[in-house]
Amino acid sequence: MQPFQFSIDLPVLNHWRNVDLLLTSVQNCFIAVFSDVDGCNAIAMVTGELVENAVKYGYWNGDDKHFRLRINGRRGSVTIQVENPVDPRDPQIHTLEATLRWIAGFPNTETAYRAKMLEIASQPGISSGFGLVRCAYEGSSILRAEIIEGNALRVVAEMTF
Amino acid sequence: MNDFVAGDLTLAVNAARRDAIELTWLGRSNDRNPDKLLTPYWDAALVEAAERRVPIELHFQKLQHFNSSTITVIIQFIQEARRRGAHLVVFYDQALKWQKLSFDAMRVFVKDELFQLRSV
Repeated sequence: MQPFQFSIDLPVLNHWRNVDLLLTSVQNCFIAVFSDVDGCNAIAMVTGELVENAVKYGYWNGDDKHFRLRINGRRGSVTIQVENPVDPRDPQIHTLEATLRWIAGFPNTETAYRAKMLEIASQPGISSGFGLVRCAYEGSSILRAEIIEGNALRVVAEMTF
Repeated sequence: MNDFVAGDLTLAVNAARRDAIELTWLGRSNDRNPDKLLTPYWDAALVEAAERRVPIELHFQKLQHFNSSTITVIIQFIQEARRRGAHLVVFYDQALKWQKLSFDAMRVFVKDELFQLRSV
């Protein structure tokens, strides 16, 4: 008997419509694997938010119009990785890192989530990083980001359920 | 008011209601810029609510998914409704964990009778 483990690894075109295509595909795949529908919804939501960020903030003026989605795990844990080309001078990278530090500065992710909601209410129109905070709270995921070979950003969400 | 339809999202108006503007969210809210789509519609809802002197009810129970950009727009609508003195009531399905997590957190905006959250 093979050990209970799984892996998805896809190069995906940076089209906005692919966000929801991936989200629903991942949701359906995992519902077929697990009986925990709430957990599958959370995996799909985190995937959707990370993929949205890749499409929105990736560097798409080069030849490569793909980002990479990897999901792997075993019973009770899932790691979602989204990797996209970036311009290393893009201030968005620092914004992302600052958001991750901001989340880590709270005693728990629920407190961070509520604080971000209040921030959005008081400062409409700002780029909020709300998707990442949502991944941390609603997705109960531990997030990290790393620059790969100087021109790609990899965001990783580790989830247990 | 007429129904709002954009992409995978519909806000269906219950025309039978005279005591409220009842908008039921259906489908998926996955647009890249939901504010551009929803804000004009909600402006019209706020004007009509003021003219008819009725509350606005947003029913999310049947919604399949919304992205974080949509939550941002909802938060801003809550603020705008309060600014205009409109009564806003949000209904959600607490049996759906994703709805419970998203909407329970919105209790930070419940300060008075102008904004209410009701789990069903």
